[in-house]
Amino acid sequence: MADILIKHLVKRFGKVEAVSDVSLKIEDGEFLVLLGPSGCGKSTILRMVAGLEDATSGEIVIGDRLVNFVDPVKRNVAMVFQNYALYPHMTVYKNIAFPLSIAKRPKGEIEAAVSRAAGILALEELLERLPGELSGGQRQRVALARAIVREPQAFLMDEPLSNLDAQLRLQTRLELIQLHQRLGITTMYVTHDQVEAMTMGSRIAVMSEGVLQQVGTPQEVYRRPANVFVATFLGAPPMNLIHGALESTPGGWRFRGENVDVPLSTDVLSSPELQHEIEARGDVRFGLRPEHFRIDAAGEEGGIPGSVQFLEPVGSDLYLTVEAGGTSLQVRTDPDSTLQAGDNVTLHFDPWRVHVFGADGHNLRRDTAAIAVPGVPAPTV
Amino acid sequence: MSDFGVDVPEAEGGAHAAYGRAVRRDRGFRVVKATLAYLVLAVFAVMAVGPFLYLLSPSFRQSYELFSYPPEWIPKSLYWGNFSTILHETSYLRWGLNTLVFATSVTLITLAIDTMAGYAFARLRFPGRTSLFVLVLATLMIPTAVLIAPLYIMVSRLPGWTHAGVNTYLGMILPMVASPLGVFMMRQFMSTLPEALVEAARLDGASEWQIFRKIVLPLMKPAIVVLGIFTFMFQWVNFLWPLVITTTDDMKTLTVGVASLQGQFVTNWGVISAAAVMTMLPVIIIFLIFQRWFVQASMAGALKQ
Repeated sequence: MADILIKHLVKRFGKVEAVSDVSLKIEDGEFLVLLGPSGCGKSTILRMVAGLEDATSGEIVIGDRLVNFVDPVKRNVAMVFQNYALYPHMTVYKNIAFPLSIAKRPKGEIEAAVSRAAGILALEELLERLPGELSGGQRQRVALARAIVREPQAFLMDEPLSNLDAQLRLQTRLELIQLHQRLGITTMYVTHDQVEAMTMGSRIAVMSEGVLQQVGTPQEVYRRPANVFVATFLGAPPMNLIHGALESTPGGWRFRGENVDVPLSTDVLSSPELQHEIEARGDVRFGLRPEHFRIDAAGEEGGIPGSVQFLEPVGSDLYLTVEAGGTSLQVRTDPDSTLQAGDNVTLHFDPWRVHVFGADGHNLRRDTAAIAVPGVPAPTV
Repeated sequence: MSDFGVDVPEAEGGAHAAYGRAVRRDRGFRVVKATLAYLVLAVFAVMAVGPFLYLLSPSFRQSYELFSYPPEWIPKSLYWGNFSTILHETSYLRWGLNTLVFATSVTLITLAIDTMAGYAFARLRFPGRTSLFVLVLATLMIPTAVLIAPLYIMVSRLPGWTHAGVNTYLGMILPMVASPLGVFMMRQFMSTLPEALVEAARLDGASEWQIFRKIVLPLMKPAIVVLGIFTFMFQWVNFLWPLVITTTDDMKTLTVGVASLQGQFVTNWGVISAAAVMTMLPVIIIFLIFQRWFVQASMAGALKQ
């Protein structure tokens, strides 16, 4: 096992910069999830670590070895592909044994290794089948077994669950978590699914357009998003954003938007330099997650007045779309609520839940502004 | 009233009648359409099978019966003499052996070269890949007749090998191997194999040759069989090149040999027909055995993700 260090990694395809100056460290035994929308460069990073793509510049270090110019197989990492990439003409046994038979290991050793891997992934009964005769989940387990059998220093997983149906995905997700707990192998896991990222990762690295946006534990990136992208990418429905401006009043800071005028907690914005910056910049966005609203009757003091437009019951929760001064807000509430479309309501929230994003999209909260993202200059505000 | 609270209204008599008329009209259209389709197909079938039957009939008849009037299509009794004449009085078996050696060797070498070239064009990245591939395709446009003379000169004047190439197996085989169409076909088929398979094998430690040999080649089996059969059938009946390069009777292939049975003054059409029938049989049998592969190969391209 080993840690993986990525330093100032850049990848260009022609004129397109797929990965821009990404630096990241994956600790030994860690499960790091690279999260981002399609085409954000996360798979490209994984493929560069695997050796399937050459980096345009930057360094990749696995363990204490610089591997930029090392053959994929000698990097001693195993990759699990989105479409499993099982060899269709070989039985499950031969698929799992393939890396070892290529390495010309003795037959007894191969048999022992395959049966151990098959045991871990409950594949003993399927060893003589062809991949075409297996279900999606079984194929994925074979792909994992083929990765395990090499005893790699690290696992690289490229959206391994996205071809599975919802229920199987849930089950395989748990199996992957268990497998990681059991083997403790350093894992880089690429996905665009935030639920996978939140549930599986010891840390999440959020990417957008080739740029690393934030690295942190699932709680950190969810509760203290470094910028608007992270705030809106994580969470379903995403964080609500309201345009407006901050104003200094004798009673403290107030956020003023269309139809919205609320005081801000001193916990949120308190550093004098920050306040100075905000004064200079003016325009900000105000962010609140759907679950942080409290719905009160119309006409209550303070808060945001609005009217219910749509109701979306999802069983465990009820999501409301509330029209408030030209902005549509997503609000989560109790599924037993008796609210109807057209009802007028007032939305309240705890001031300390609020995020404030500056004109450049960075979060101005005192507790997040200080979050330094490796490879990304910390916000100057 | 169904269990799920869906009301299904009772159909009315008028609606039923209209529905019945529509069904009958639709059935009528379908019968007409099918009849037309079968007619067209039947014309093509006659065009394809006709010459073969026209050949089969004289092979079982005596020469003097062939020109009887009115013409008889079905012989009154089967005459096997033509076949025995061919087997005993010509070098037919020797020609058959020559053809087997020629067609088999060309097929095997073509498969080896075309699959490797196809893999290189489909999966390897090297400078000039596209222009080289276009060049290979461009050679498809050159008519065979144009190549015969230069090929003959090349084969007859191979370095240190003066005239030795003429009338030898090597001289017959080498110029026919590696077909651009085969390279194109292999490349297209390999492009449909998921890239991830090759990448997975590379990460598993397989060398380029091992990837080709252990992953790509087994998956290419349908395409290889199709190319193999095409090549074999084409070379089995290849006439022009064997005619040019062979000079003695014992080096002739079947097509050249059968053609040589045609005399300047007298031609025994019964014998020639029998020879032609015997020449066709192996190809037909091979095709029948492997025909399911043709379907598989064409389906594979359509269904792969």
